[in-house]
Amino acid sequence: MSPREVRGTIFNVQPFSVYDGPGIRTTVFFKGCNLRCVWCHNPESYTYEPQIQFQPEKCIGCGACFAVCPRKAHVLDEEGVHRIDRRNCTGCGACAGECFAGALALTGRNVTAGELFSMLEQDRDYFARSGGGVTFSGGECMTQPEFLKALLTQCREAGIHTAVDTAGCVPSERFEEILPLADLFLYDVKAARSETHRCLTGVGNEQILDNLRMLSDRGARIIVRIPYVPGEEGAQGAQSAGNALAGNVHEMLEIAEILKPLRLEAVEFLAYHRLGEGKRASLDMELKKFGVPAPDAVEEVCAKFRKMGIPARYSR
Amino acid sequence: MSAMSERVELSSEVRQRIRSMHDSKIYYNDEKLKRYGGHIDIDDHGFICFNELEFAPETHEDGMVYGCGMIGRNLRRFMNAIPAYIHPDSALAGAWAGVFQRFANIGLRPGDEAPAELKAIYEKYDIHQNGVGAMNHLGPDMTIGLRLGWRGLLDKIRYYRKFNAPADTDFYDGEEELVLGMLEYVRRHADYAREMAAQAEDAFHRNNYQEIAKINENLLEAPPRTFREACQFLAHFQSVDRTYYAGGALGQIDELLRPYYEKESKAGTLSDEEAIWIVASLLYNDTHYCQVGGQIPDGSRGLTSRISYLILQATHEIHIPNNLAVRVYEGMDEELLRRAVEYILEDGSGVCFSLSKGCEEGFAKNGHPMELARMRAKVGCNWTALPGIEYPLQDVTRLNMAFALVHALDDLMAGEEEPSLEGLWEHFCRHLQILVDCNKDSYDWHYEVVSRNTPEIVLNLFCHGPIERGLNCAQGGVDIIGLNVDGIALATVADSFAAIEERVVREKRLTWQEMYDAVKSDFAGKENIRLMLNSISRFGAPDSPAEKWAIRTRDTYVQMVTSSPTPKHHLKVIPGMFSHGDVYYYGEKLPATPNGRHAGDPISHSTEPDPGFAKGIASFSPTLKANAVAKTQPGYGNSAPLHLDIDTDMLGREGGADTLMALIHAHEQMGGTLINLNCITKEQIRRAHADPASEPDLVVRVTGYSAFFASLSREYRQQIVDRYLTAEEQKV
Repeated sequence: MSPREVRGTIFNVQPFSVYDGPGIRTTVFFKGCNLRCVWCHNPESYTYEPQIQFQPEKCIGCGACFAVCPRKAHVLDEEGVHRIDRRNCTGCGACAGECFAGALALTGRNVTAGELFSMLEQDRDYFARSGGGVTFSGGECMTQPEFLKALLTQCREAGIHTAVDTAGCVPSERFEEILPLADLFLYDVKAARSETHRCLTGVGNEQILDNLRMLSDRGARIIVRIPYVPGEEGAQGAQSAGNALAGNVHEMLEIAEILKPLRLEAVEFLAYHRLGEGKRASLDMELKKFGVPAPDAVEEVCAKFRKMGIPARYSR
Repeated sequence: MSAMSERVELSSEVRQRIRSMHDSKIYYNDEKLKRYGGHIDIDDHGFICFNELEFAPETHEDGMVYGCGMIGRNLRRFMNAIPAYIHPDSALAGAWAGVFQRFANIGLRPGDEAPAELKAIYEKYDIHQNGVGAMNHLGPDMTIGLRLGWRGLLDKIRYYRKFNAPADTDFYDGEEELVLGMLEYVRRHADYAREMAAQAEDAFHRNNYQEIAKINENLLEAPPRTFREACQFLAHFQSVDRTYYAGGALGQIDELLRPYYEKESKAGTLSDEEAIWIVASLLYNDTHYCQVGGQIPDGSRGLTSRISYLILQATHEIHIPNNLAVRVYEGMDEELLRRAVEYILEDGSGVCFSLSKGCEEGFAKNGHPMELARMRAKVGCNWTALPGIEYPLQDVTRLNMAFALVHALDDLMAGEEEPSLEGLWEHFCRHLQILVDCNKDSYDWHYEVVSRNTPEIVLNLFCHGPIERGLNCAQGGVDIIGLNVDGIALATVADSFAAIEERVVREKRLTWQEMYDAVKSDFAGKENIRLMLNSISRFGAPDSPAEKWAIRTRDTYVQMVTSSPTPKHHLKVIPGMFSHGDVYYYGEKLPATPNGRHAGDPISHSTEPDPGFAKGIASFSPTLKANAVAKTQPGYGNSAPLHLDIDTDMLGREGGADTLMALIHAHEQMGGTLINLNCITKEQIRRAHADPASEPDLVVRVTGYSAFFASLSREYRQQIVDRYLTAEEQKV
């Protein structure tokens, strides 16, 4: 199979992306993730299969979705409110295809690497002018390794700069596979202690840190990205490793100790924001509201990193 | 940073003077809004509402003003009636008092208006701007004025009047009267400055008024000799140019001023700070269109000089609407572009960007050498023209292609044949051809009548030929005639064809009749059908089938325009696709369209996708929009602009200028022709829309021109808001 024919699932393509690596970039969001970060602002990326998103405020009550759904997943609850019974919904998209008001949308599309590359290629003049390129993000792009490799191969052949945005929780062989093809890694470090990491994301971080060290040893270009997530709003939870609602701020200096010996191009802080809240509601997911950090607080931690010789930066 | 590009640190005195002009501009703007019904949707002009001004024009028996001689006599009297004005902190004298047609019934004499057969077509297709009687859309060569001065222009008129000795002297009579009026206007300002000097209470203002008196007295006798005199000459020109049909072009301003600047700068008689103050005073006087940067005709050298940077800084310092463009091309002085972008990031808006590749290579396709194409400067809100040698009439015609589609659909459904997409296309082409032909006929008519009614009495003075030949520039006064015809509503048409193709032909969700009935009833009780048609992948989305309809429509339109000159006088016609900000106006009478657009809703802008076009897998981005606009340029050098409204919260703070520069350059290389850039936050635009008075300083680039946001009508403000915020975001 040629690289162009390899298929994968994505849920969004964002051209003119200026926060995911250098220059003007197009960021491709892969669908499916093996982490469950409690603050995730792309919850539609969790599953590998397409999902239905529902925004009731756009519904015009035409009833087409009820009629077309093969599993009768569209229901009226006891109060007569239109809901999706997620247990029955298979994400077939039949309802979204009939919903012209845009209240129902199928998030996720299965595409060939060739089809996607044609779209990415349209902005190559902007990439060339700005020192930008394409960033593969997610979800976790490393969980669709063949698709990722096929895209990286095409970009390399076309001379388009690539960045792989990953949380790193995959076998090291997958990094070995793409190392010669990726120009840059945007590598998430979310906690220092494995216990904390498990609590915040559902998995420990041993493999993640091992992969990061391996990439550093192999001379890969790496920008580490640290989400800066204060504790849950209003909660007085103890800042301990076992408490997901405590966020990760209390482990920042321990993260610095881990990063200090590595060869990193930069360390970027990403302050928690609330853009994902509406998306969670549209997917019937539980919402946890973390505190939005004061920019000065992030800047302060950033300065401490720099003092330790780590090339940290924070863009407000 | 080189010495050429270094920013000037202004003293607090100069900063204060410029600030004072800025504040006066806000004040006068407020006065204008009170007087003119709360909003002004065109260029933010520099005129002042003089309460005491009354004027009784000399007219023909029919009560109208027409003919060069009569216009000249009236303008002479009118310029004398305008009260003398000098802003106390300005380096220059003069202001204008609103367009002359507000004070006189001027225009085509009865019988010279468009004939009934053309009017019937205007009526059927809702053509408001057909080119008949169109005025002022050409660019002057101001070096003519700067070399001769008002006195020299008078001598030139008298010389050629005698030399040519025409049987009918009306043309020279009018031109001579106008220049005499200008000399009297200058004289009154010199006298007024002397009076003000006598009353001044402090040394600066006394000296300033005396200096203004002196330069105006000099200008009575001779051409400008100094930088300040040159700017004063240009300011007086701006005043009379605007007065007569709101003309608005200066041209390559850095090159106009460079000889004066370099001479005095070298001699130590003009500091950079003074130069900025004087240019700011010129900008306060009016918002004439002009350009910095670009290349000399052979392309071997850039035109950017120290004065280019000072002009740019003056626009930043005074921070009022301005119509300066920076010319962008491969190999340009990148520092000039960077500075312009940095000012925009700081101020929210600023200059626009005229793009060489599309403008020049396109113009050369009309059969002109590239050397000539490079001389075409940005002298109008969306357009470039050859200063002083071209009669282009851009931005004065609009053919609403969506009206051709509406009639095509009616014809198709009334016909006996089974409806089909290609059948609809054929009807559409037939109606579009009627529109284009009508405009060519209109231009023939215009050519026959305009010179005897409303000659370009002001701009003739600053063109190569009219005075020498005794001919209005529209009638052989200048050598190059290439009349523009703008076709508009491209995305409205393309999305309509694509919606029918997808929902009726391919998916068969609707029959032709169901679709037609829904459209004819303006979707009354058929909201789901409207949403079905509206929710296709629209023009601008990367994988949209509408793009092929956009390109097919553009190609067909361009071919119809370029395939033949006007039928009677064989005048060259050039295609353009600029809608101005009039997308609401041209939507008002347009019935519902198959793209799910309600009757009366706005049409799409120029060749841009409709707001909210990106709904598929790819999210909205400036690059998607830029790609769509680059692909659908009319291609013959006349601009179809790209509006980039960048949310500065989205743009990385560090490297923001680099990002925008890359975007501008890439669009230029893709064939784009003009970029209008606003850089503000979504929050600011939301706040200003809810309460315009809360942001009196907010300047935005509307289309080719810039204006205070608070001056615009709700519909015009909405256009800017639609470019920034999605429908959902606007509900928050």
